[in-house]
Amino acid sequence: MKEMENRIRQMAKDLLAREKVDQVVGFCQGSLAAVTRPFLARHPEEADQLVFNCNCRMNLATFVPDLKGRTGIVAKGCDSRNLVIQMTENRVKRENLYIIGVPCAGMADKNKLLATAGGRDLIRVIDRGEQIEVETTQGTTHTLSRQDLLQDNCVTCIRHNPVIYDALAGPEVPEPDLQDRFADVAAVQKMDPGEKQAYFQHLLKDCIRCYACRDACPLCYCPTCFVDESSPQWVGKSLNPVDVTTYHLVRAFHDAGRCTDCGACEAACPMNIRVRSFTRKTIMDCVNHFGEEAGMNPGQRPVLDRFQINDPNDFFR
Amino acid sequence: MIIINKTDLAEVMTRAQETYLLSGPVETFHGHTFRHLEPGQAPDLSCHHTLLSPKAVVFPPSDPLLTFSGDDWAGPDLADLPPQAAVGIRPYDAKALHLLKYNFDTPEYKDPYFLSRFENLTLVGLAENHPDPANFSVSCGTGPFDETCLDMLLVDLGDALAGKILTDKGEAFARAAGLDPIPAEKKAAVASTIAELKTRAENAVTRTGSFGSLDGISTLDLYEQIDWEALAFGCINCNTCTFVCPTCWCFDIQDEARGQKGVRLKLWDSCMSALYSAHASGHNPRRQGWQRFRNRFMHKLKYFGDKYGAGPMCVGCGRCIRTCPAGIDIRTIHQALSRLEAVT
Amino acid sequence: MTEFEPRIITFLCNWCSYGAADLAGVSRFQYPPNMRIIRIPCSGRVSVKMVLHAIRSGADGVWISGCHPGDCHYIEGNFYARRKFVLLKELLEYTGLEPGRLQFSWISSAEGVKFADVAQQVIADIRALGPAKKLIRQLPEVA
Repeated sequence: MKEMENRIRQMAKDLLAREKVDQVVGFCQGSLAAVTRPFLARHPEEADQLVFNCNCRMNLATFVPDLKGRTGIVAKGCDSRNLVIQMTENRVKRENLYIIGVPCAGMADKNKLLATAGGRDLIRVIDRGEQIEVETTQGTTHTLSRQDLLQDNCVTCIRHNPVIYDALAGPEVPEPDLQDRFADVAAVQKMDPGEKQAYFQHLLKDCIRCYACRDACPLCYCPTCFVDESSPQWVGKSLNPVDVTTYHLVRAFHDAGRCTDCGACEAACPMNIRVRSFTRKTIMDCVNHFGEEAGMNPGQRPVLDRFQINDPNDFFR
Repeated sequence: MIIINKTDLAEVMTRAQETYLLSGPVETFHGHTFRHLEPGQAPDLSCHHTLLSPKAVVFPPSDPLLTFSGDDWAGPDLADLPPQAAVGIRPYDAKALHLLKYNFDTPEYKDPYFLSRFENLTLVGLAENHPDPANFSVSCGTGPFDETCLDMLLVDLGDALAGKILTDKGEAFARAAGLDPIPAEKKAAVASTIAELKTRAENAVTRTGSFGSLDGISTLDLYEQIDWEALAFGCINCNTCTFVCPTCWCFDIQDEARGQKGVRLKLWDSCMSALYSAHASGHNPRRQGWQRFRNRFMHKLKYFGDKYGAGPMCVGCGRCIRTCPAGIDIRTIHQALSRLEAVT
Repeated sequence: MTEFEPRIITFLCNWCSYGAADLAGVSRFQYPPNMRIIRIPCSGRVSVKMVLHAIRSGADGVWISGCHPGDCHYIEGNFYARRKFVLLKELLEYTGLEPGRLQFSWISSAEGVKFADVAQQVIADIRALGPAKKLIRQLPEVA
C-alpha cells in the first residue's frame, strides 16, 4: 500500500509541476485514525499530503464537476465507473480529466475497525495490504485480515481495477470470481410482503433525514432535489416512517441503472444505516433483466436511457 | 451522595418511570443514540458516546406545533407535560442544553415548546471516565465530570454508580427512584475514587488551547482573509454535523396539509443545505457550499461568542468530528482561524 | 355488509389508452367505476414520484397503460417506460408492496373492448387484495 501511495504522490507532483493539471483531487489523513479527508492539491509540494489506504471511503467523483480547469483525480474501480457516468451525463469532459487509476483491494468498514477497540477509539490504523494493523486508545494492538474488515460493498465488488484511466498507480489486482453476488437481495426477496415491510421499517428506524447519503453520492446532483420540491410536495421532511421510506425509495430509484455500489452512502451515514439495501435491488434487476452494469463503458448511454426490443414485457396485460 | 448497584439499575429506573418520562442512551445499529425510553426499558449506561445528542429531548427533530382545520387550530397543552428526566446525559451535553436556551429564551420571544420541556427536565448526568480522541470538552469550558449544568452526577465505579445530588430537582429524582444514600463508612473512599477518575478523565481529554479565543480578531478579517474554499474542500454539505451537534438549533417550519386540514411542524434544519438560505426570488447569498461552511464555523466560533459572551457555540463533544464523512475537524478550523493576528 | 370498493389511480397515455377508454365509453362497454383516470401525454411521463404519491394518498392500486411497444406516438417513450416500470414494480414489491397493486398494460386506441376487459381484471385483482394498508401517509398528530 505504501508503494501505491508513493506512486500517487509522485504522479500528482509531476502533473502539478509540469502544469498538466490545475489541481489534483485525492485523500489526505484526517484527524482521527480511521478517517481520511478529500484533499485538493494545487501545488507540487502539497502532493506529499496525499495518502491512499483502507480508509479512503468517499467517492471523489462527487467533487469533480464543480472544479474548474483540468483536474487530476485519484480513482478506485468504483470511482472510475462514476466518472464514466458523469461523462455520459455531460457533467465532466474527458479531456479535462487526468485519471490516476488505483487498483483497489477494498476499503475497511469503519464500524468493523472500531469494533476492534470495543466501542472506544483507535489511535492508529496501518494498511499493510492483506493485513491491517490497529492500535486502540487502551494501548492494545491488533492485526486483522483485510478480508474480515471489508465494507459490505467491497465484498461483492465486481470491478477492483479502474475501467478508465490515464495512468495506473499500481499493478492491476485480479478481478474476483463472485459466487452468489446478490445473496443479500435474495434473502429479502424470500420474505412475504409483511415481513419485507417490517424489515425495511426496522432498517430505517434511526434515519434522521440528514441527506448525507444523497450528498456523498456523485450521482445525486439535481439542482433541486425531489425532497425540496414543494409544489407538489412529494415527500414530507419529518421523521414520519412513511416519509423516510419514500425518501429512500425515490432516491434509490433515481440512481437506478447508475449506481456503482461504491458504498460512499453507507460510509457517510451517521446512524450506520444500510442504505444500500435499496440500490442493491435495482443493480440486481439491471443485471438480471437488462444484462447491464452501470458505468463500465464510456461510450454507452445509461441503462434507463436505452432500451431493447426484447426487454421484459410479460407483466404487461 | 447516593449509590446504585448496577444489578439494581433496571429496578431503579422502573421506579423512576412511575414519575418521570425517561430518556437515555439506547443501543442502535453499531452504536447508541439518546432517546425516550419505553416503559421498562433501562438506559444503557455502559455506552461510550451516543451518535445523536440529547437535544432531541427538548428540541425534537420533528415537532408538531398545532393542527388546523379551515380557520380553527389547536395546539398541545404545554402546561400539562409529564416531568421528564434525561438519565446518562454527559455533563457537556447538559451544558449544551443551556447554550440552546440562548436561542429559545430571549427578551423578545420565549419559545413555549422548548421552555416547557426544558423547565420540567431533570438532568441526571453520567461522568465520562474514558473520553475518546474526538472529545475536547475541557477546552470549551466544561468537561467529562463538569457538575455545573446537572441536577445529579452519576459516576461509574465499576459495579456500582455513585451519585452526587446537586440540586432540588436531583433530590426529587433520588426520592422518586428510591435511591439509597451511600453508607457513611464508604463515603471517603468513594469520594477519593471519583476524584481520581475525574483527574484521569480530564487529563485524557485532548486539549486544543483555549478554544474560542477569537475575541481579539475582527469578524471581517476572519470572514475575508481565511482561505475558506480550501478549508471547506471535501465538505459535502450533508447536514450531519448540524444534526448530531448538541448546540445547533436551526429549525424550519412547514405545513403539511390535505385539503383544509393540516399540521404545522417544526423540523430540524441545517445552515449547510442550499435551501436554507435560498430566497423566494431565486437569489441565494450562500449558493456555494464553502460559503455555507464559512457561515457555520463563523457562527460556532465567532458570532455566538460575540453576541452572548458565553464562549463558543460548542461543548467539545466530538460528534461532528466522529461522524463527518469527509473528516472535517472543527479543531483544525479553529486553529486556522486563530492564526490570524489579533488586533487590539 | 358493504363490500370494499377499491380506488385505483389510473394513468392513461393520451394517444392510445385514453382513446381506448373513450371508445369503451362511447361503445357503452360496462366496467366498474373504481378508476380515477389521469391523462398523461405518454406512459414514459409516469415517474416514481407520481406512483408513490398515489400510494401514499391511500390508493388501493395504481394502473398505468400506454401504447403498444413500437406504436408510441413519441416513437420510443414507452420503451423507456417499460424499463422504468420493471425496476419500479420490482423495487416496490421488494420493499413490501403486495404484488398485484401495481398493474400495467398496453392498450391501443382501437381496443375499446380490451380496455373494458383489462379494467374488469385490474379491479377484480385489487379488490381481492383488500384495502391498501402500507406506505399510507397520515397527517401527524399533536401530542
